[in-house]
Amino acid sequence: MPKFSSGLTRRGFANRTAALAALSASPTALAQSQPAPAAPVSPNDRIVMGAIGIGGRGTEDIRHFLSDPRVQIVANCDIREDRRESIKSLIDKAQGNHDCKMYSNAQDLLARPDIEAVLIATSDRWHTLMSVWAAEAGKDIFCEKPLSLTIAESYALAETVRRYGRVYQAGCQRRNVPNFELAVGLARSGKLGRLQTVYANTLAPLSRLGHNWWPAEPEPDPRVFDWDQWLGPCPWRPYNARYPNGGRGLFWDFHGGGILEWGSHTVDLCQWAADADHTQAIEYEPTPNGVNARYANGVKLVMRPDGWMNLGTCHVRFEGTNGWVETADSGRIELSENLRSEHRTVTMRGTDPSRHIQDFLNCIRSRTQPRSNAESSCNAHVTCHAAYIAWQLGRKCAWDPAKRAFVNDEQANRMRSRAYREPYRHDAICNSLG
Amino acid sequence: MPQQPAPQAAKPASQPKPLPAVPPEFDAAPILALDAPKLVQLVADPKSTVFQKAKACHRLAVIGGKDAVPAVAALLDHPELSNYARFALEPNPDPSASTALRNALPKLSGRRLAGAITSLGVRQDPKAVDLLIKYMDHADSDVAGAALASLGRIATPQAAKALHQALTSVRAELQPIAARAALICATPDLLKALAGPNVPKPVRLAALKQSS
Repeated sequence: MPKFSSGLTRRGFANRTAALAALSASPTALAQSQPAPAAPVSPNDRIVMGAIGIGGRGTEDIRHFLSDPRVQIVANCDIREDRRESIKSLIDKAQGNHDCKMYSNAQDLLARPDIEAVLIATSDRWHTLMSVWAAEAGKDIFCEKPLSLTIAESYALAETVRRYGRVYQAGCQRRNVPNFELAVGLARSGKLGRLQTVYANTLAPLSRLGHNWWPAEPEPDPRVFDWDQWLGPCPWRPYNARYPNGGRGLFWDFHGGGILEWGSHTVDLCQWAADADHTQAIEYEPTPNGVNARYANGVKLVMRPDGWMNLGTCHVRFEGTNGWVETADSGRIELSENLRSEHRTVTMRGTDPSRHIQDFLNCIRSRTQPRSNAESSCNAHVTCHAAYIAWQLGRKCAWDPAKRAFVNDEQANRMRSRAYREPYRHDAICNSLG
Repeated sequence: MPQQPAPQAAKPASQPKPLPAVPPEFDAAPILALDAPKLVQLVADPKSTVFQKAKACHRLAVIGGKDAVPAVAALLDHPELSNYARFALEPNPDPSASTALRNALPKLSGRRLAGAITSLGVRQDPKAVDLLIKYMDHADSDVAGAALASLGRIATPQAAKALHQALTSVRAELQPIAARAALICATPDLLKALAGPNVPKPVRLAALKQSS
């Protein structure tokens, strides 16, 4: 068993998934599962929030937060001056005032005692550290995915969230999108029979992450764009404008790779379906374009970039002894012949975060953990990282979830963490590994 | 009767867009293919570029042993390569990596000193405790904060005792860091001390939760 647990117990999780199983039992359950319209909110009951690192995906998130009457966003932080101003403008316009304060340093925003929760939508390299800072400051956290760049970061994040008793929701919104809920419900309710193989669509190809540098260019004025803060805990390299303008995802220093980009969604759903939310896969075998893995309960996990039934991006497919289900971001669902009566029409796209955000806001008030809580997200990310390490090494690796270590593989174990660039650090990072 | 899953029509993976051209002097592939002795030579060679040394350290983080430590540790005071040296030293299983970090402390300052102190904490080096205690109230907040955090990670009885004192003895701006370090260290005495009025509320509540 892992060394930690979140506020969400396994029994609690089972209760939640029993409700999910009901999705597959009742034709009306999907409609009933839509969140009820929010009641009018008094100003004193508002959830006061700050927003950090709001780019493209963050802007979509923030529009959904702003549409909820419970939410008041009072601050935004970005290292880019133009983004600070454009996001302030968006927030102020939506809220009908000029009250959103701008920050270039996240610690200043997190120091505000009136801020109860934060939306973190920086890019990947900042996700763990920023979330840890937010938890230490007593904030609840909605953080975009992937939540970490390493195995060590994944555990450290989960432990810090648990230690400080915060509500944490990773931006793995497909846990709150009906077609994926239905597919998981079918797997967990036994309607597929004994689950044998789960398939996670990963972003192709895995080999693209580079270790090269681009030529140095003059650094901009830090008041306009702060390169040092942009790098954050990542290794230093000379500035080049292509990194912050779309190029960062090509580099190992800044990104978790093809498995993490989509696997943070699809592997996460597979773990949920396979009753493995509390653990990680224990064996990893690289294939030319992906990784085959296995859980201790015998379920096989296939991570592969190939498309299947043209249902959109981020496919998952669950196969059992009595049937199969496959779905993806279009909302369309394909089922084996014997399960066609379970079919539902879903029009919500997999990229829609609206119900996921409402789940987070509800949990802030109820002090329960949302679906993409830190523990389950940590475990899914550890599976993704372990798979990517096996793929980079080009050999089969065995993983011991209790020891949080690869079995008899020193090189793989040395890839579980990365040194933070000075002066960045966070307190839980080394204690997170056994 | 179990129904067999429908056959999957596997489609080829989408073809990647070509990466922008990388100048040969910034091509990491030849460096990452070197064995450990050649990587050490590259790090030690004064003619090597910053890029070459950075990538050699990157690879030595995975395959470097005792022989890599002296050359890598020599970069700890390099303004652009210090973090790469720590990148290689932190996961190195040989004890000489900790010794090299400890020996480097008197020669370092500012961020680079803070970084080396952080790495000693990550390595949970008990032999560093005496040294780190001396840095707990350093004038540079990055250095003092790193020392406090590392003591919390190392968590020997001596480190716990030092943190207990630091909760009230370090200057005000460092007290929240000392409190968070004490929470990581988490001895019963420290958790009790974190109930104090000067402790930040999130840490106070976390300590209460942890001790209950």
